[in-house]
Amino acid sequence: MKKLLIAGALVLAATASLWAAVGCDLNDPDRDVKRIFPESTGYKTTYLSIKDGGGLQQLARVINRLGDKFSGPYENIDVPYTLYEIKKGAATLGYIHGVNQKGTYGGIQVFLALDPQGVIRGFYIQKLTSRAATQLRSKSFARQFIGLSLKDFDGYNVPFGRAEGPVAAIRNPAPEAVWDFRAVMRAVKKNLILMDEFVYHGAKP
Amino acid sequence: MQKPSAGFDWLQRLSTAEGDWGRVAVQGRLAWNKEGDNRFEGQLYNAYAAGKVQETEIWAGHNRPAQGLASAWDTHGTLLQPLTMYGFGYDRDWGAGAGRLFPWGDVRASLTTGSGMPLYFKGNWLASARASGGVLERDNYSAGLSVARGRTLDTMGLHLMESAPETYGTVGADGTVLWDRFSQRLEAVTGRRQGQNVRALFSRTGVGFLEESRLTIEAQPVAVWTDGRETLEWGGGASYVLNKNWTARVMSLWDRRPYNQQVVAQLYGYFKI
Repeated sequence: MKKLLIAGALVLAATASLWAAVGCDLNDPDRDVKRIFPESTGYKTTYLSIKDGGGLQQLARVINRLGDKFSGPYENIDVPYTLYEIKKGAATLGYIHGVNQKGTYGGIQVFLALDPQGVIRGFYIQKLTSRAATQLRSKSFARQFIGLSLKDFDGYNVPFGRAEGPVAAIRNPAPEAVWDFRAVMRAVKKNLILMDEFVYHGAKP
Repeated sequence: MQKPSAGFDWLQRLSTAEGDWGRVAVQGRLAWNKEGDNRFEGQLYNAYAAGKVQETEIWAGHNRPAQGLASAWDTHGTLLQPLTMYGFGYDRDWGAGAGRLFPWGDVRASLTTGSGMPLYFKGNWLASARASGGVLERDNYSAGLSVARGRTLDTMGLHLMESAPETYGTVGADGTVLWDRFSQRLEAVTGRRQGQNVRALFSRTGVGFLEESRLTIEAQPVAVWTDGRETLEWGGGASYVLNKNWTARVMSLWDRRPYNQQVVAQLYGYFKI
């Protein structure tokens, strides 16, 4: 005899912070913060969304600046973003912020560590199961992003993967995984735009 | 796990101007029983406070004991379950624990009541520890070694099956690998439970399809030997992310015993309030 059970489950996340668990969190923030900002003494976690920020106008602006439409479960107006404000005592050393990005198979999570002026001082791919994961996670690939900022990525054409200026110098370490490389580049630009919208408010270096 | 239910999930971070120092988490649900005297049953999962002391995180309350794959694997809401469902450790237990992260992995330990969801003091206790190498989200692999010893109670959900605690002692090894669209989890446990020699082997293979792996197909054989008698159970399941709030899941379990086949379908919703 075969039993058929129907199990429905409804869970309500009672705080914005928990809802953010479905967004893009550092898996081990203690370890990652210390590695990227060794001089830090702590970090403060806050949760942001376009819905709670600038709403539909901001969403349209982000899409326009990205130059590519939003799609999938991780790109919509109420997707939560986790912002780690890195502290040394009460002073802010910088930020760590991650975004989800559609990859060839499964999602990719791309984190940027930014100084208080919005300049990249760390690049970190957390989730990535691509066959080219080793190359895309290599230190030599990550180093190519250091010192760049949103103004460098402004001219990056997401749909065609065309770059100019310093971004054009970023080399794909795995030519056979061109779509994952382009997904990472899109995630970096999206990340920088969102940080500009959420934190820097257009005060680009 | 496989009951219609409605629940909540609450998390509060504790911070000062210099950063986060702790958190409080509570997660519970009201489940509906088709059979039994109590048609509705309140169940508590997370109910703990955690804080950092230098590099070490300490928690107290109802949380995951430091034992096996289940202690490092979020199976919240899923239908196929790890070895805790087969009597090897507990999904959650009452007590306290500590953990520290290292660049190469982490080490965790806990001292809990060995009673699972309900809280009893009948001379029961469970000490557990797990060390793991590799960070799954960074390295795409993780491997752990666990040891547990105590006198535990046989409970099922909120219900106490035996009133006296029994000796429990196990050692185990587990591993997880992610590659491309594939995931593989393995766990092996051996030891003594309720006066019997026990061993278990667990495997879960998953394959992701469609964009962002929103469709996942999984297969799960679990073999348990109790004083040499083998029980082999096969499980299979599929999960499809409908949208950011809803996931549909289906699962089937079967073994050689007659009348012991299950098919479970689930619609799972998760909303911010």
